[in-house]
Amino acid sequence: MPFVPVLHAEWIKIRTLRSLLGALAAVLVVTGAFSAVTAARADRSDPLYSVFFGVSLGQVAAVVFGALAVSGEYRGGALRLTLAAAPDRTRWFAAKVVAVALPVLAVGLLTGLATLAVGSATAGLTWAQGLRGVVGCALYLTLMALLAAGLAGVLRSGVGTLGLLIPFLLIVSFVVGDLASGAAGYLPDRAGQLALHSAPEGPLGPWTGLAVTALWAGAALGAGAWCVRRRDA
Amino acid sequence: MAGPGAHRRAVDGLTLTVRPGRVTGFLGPNGAGKSTTMRLVLGLDRPTSGTATLDGHPYAGLRDPLRRVGALLDARAAHGSRTAHDHLLALAVSNRLPATRVGEVLERTGLAPVARRRVRTFSLGMRQRLGIAAALLGDPEVILLDEPANGLDPEGIVWVRTLLRGLAAQGRTVLVSSHLMGETAAFADHLVVLGRGRLLADTPVRDFIDARVRPRVRVRSTDADALGTLLARHGHEGERAADGTWTVRHAHVEELGRLLAGEGLPVLELAAEEASLEEAYLDLTAGEAEFTAQPQEV
Repeated sequence: MPFVPVLHAEWIKIRTLRSLLGALAAVLVVTGAFSAVTAARADRSDPLYSVFFGVSLGQVAAVVFGALAVSGEYRGGALRLTLAAAPDRTRWFAAKVVAVALPVLAVGLLTGLATLAVGSATAGLTWAQGLRGVVGCALYLTLMALLAAGLAGVLRSGVGTLGLLIPFLLIVSFVVGDLASGAAGYLPDRAGQLALHSAPEGPLGPWTGLAVTALWAGAALGAGAWCVRRRDA
Repeated sequence: MAGPGAHRRAVDGLTLTVRPGRVTGFLGPNGAGKSTTMRLVLGLDRPTSGTATLDGHPYAGLRDPLRRVGALLDARAAHGSRTAHDHLLALAVSNRLPATRVGEVLERTGLAPVARRRVRTFSLGMRQRLGIAAALLGDPEVILLDEPANGLDPEGIVWVRTLLRGLAAQGRTVLVSSHLMGETAAFADHLVVLGRGRLLADTPVRDFIDARVRPRVRVRSTDADALGTLLARHGHEGERAADGTWTVRHAHVEELGRLLAGEGLPVLELAAEEASLEEAYLDLTAGEAEFTAQPQEV
């Protein structure tokens, strides 16, 4: 069973759901809007994060996109129909993952460029910082969407996945991050967002931080793939 | 093959061959294992032992499986926010079927006028039609439909019957599950009856009827008592209703008609009763139903 037709089918499934297109649009709008607000009052000590602050809220939309793209398969026996058409489960899940990753990566790049265009006028960033911000923003959002997609494959529920991830991103990570800065730096959102800071502190650099987030996302996707393979559909 | 289940086996020791060119009705009470069997065939559930193959090959090894097997498992499988057209388009593309097939199956299932409507606005009957459209998409030679008549109006049931008969006449293999005997007898040529995961019958519909449906005759005369005496004298087992009508088991109208004429007893009514197909089925599956209501004291 070839990969490309399955990938094409998964892309059709994504582009034909308004909720998913809405979530992608929200990544751009939310990130851009909050960044515009904070960039206007740029923090001299960390100008890059002032410009890209909106990502910490825009990521919620990316997580919603990743979770819903997968959890739609667990409603009303949809997965049975999907796997009847594409019985190689590993290949199907890989197609789903690519179909989730590519749109978020594209929207993430667009979001990064738009955010930079809005904020750079006041923040005074170097070229290198700006480039790192744009690429980091796109990669970070993509990895968070994939983390959500993998978790949704394990939990088989959009509500369950979002109920776990959104409070984690908006509350737990902030609280835990302030209490124990050592290990908390390796949490997926903390580590990945290092790419959006002017001068990251601690053991991780901007790219190694993203690599840590990639490990989290990879682990979630691996667990998701395992569940898709092993469980009855 | 034997089916999964941590606490009980859904399907046990089931060996089944479904032949092309006829509609096979797959019958059994709720929980008998019909849906599980279909999921096992499609590789969606794993058998604990045994194999399910199509032409000797496991389903998962098929290239473009929709071109070989079309299945309706659950009418709710289409996402409510997607249109009928987009739902089918994604399926068609995944199996490299031309996009024109989508229009063709929508036309064939009568959904063409609502192709651009979201599935959530569909009635259960329309969703069943969409599920059947998906099963027909790849023009497959094997068609598995799980309770396709659920939610269909009488017109829809006639349509399904015509469709299934037509598909079988083209030489396709058609397996249709149902928990209703009357419905199944209407469109199937062959019957497979399942109870608690075991095979209870695998027989042509006609043979099933001949073997299990005991003929019954309803007879009424001007003199109910004389009729009763006559029946008893000739060894017929009859039941008398309040209005004097006798119902005679294991009898034929030809036989009783001659008997009454010979005795000169005026006949007011003499009719064969064929309505006991459902009873024959209930009789077969009695004690095999997974969920039966306790008889209630009145």
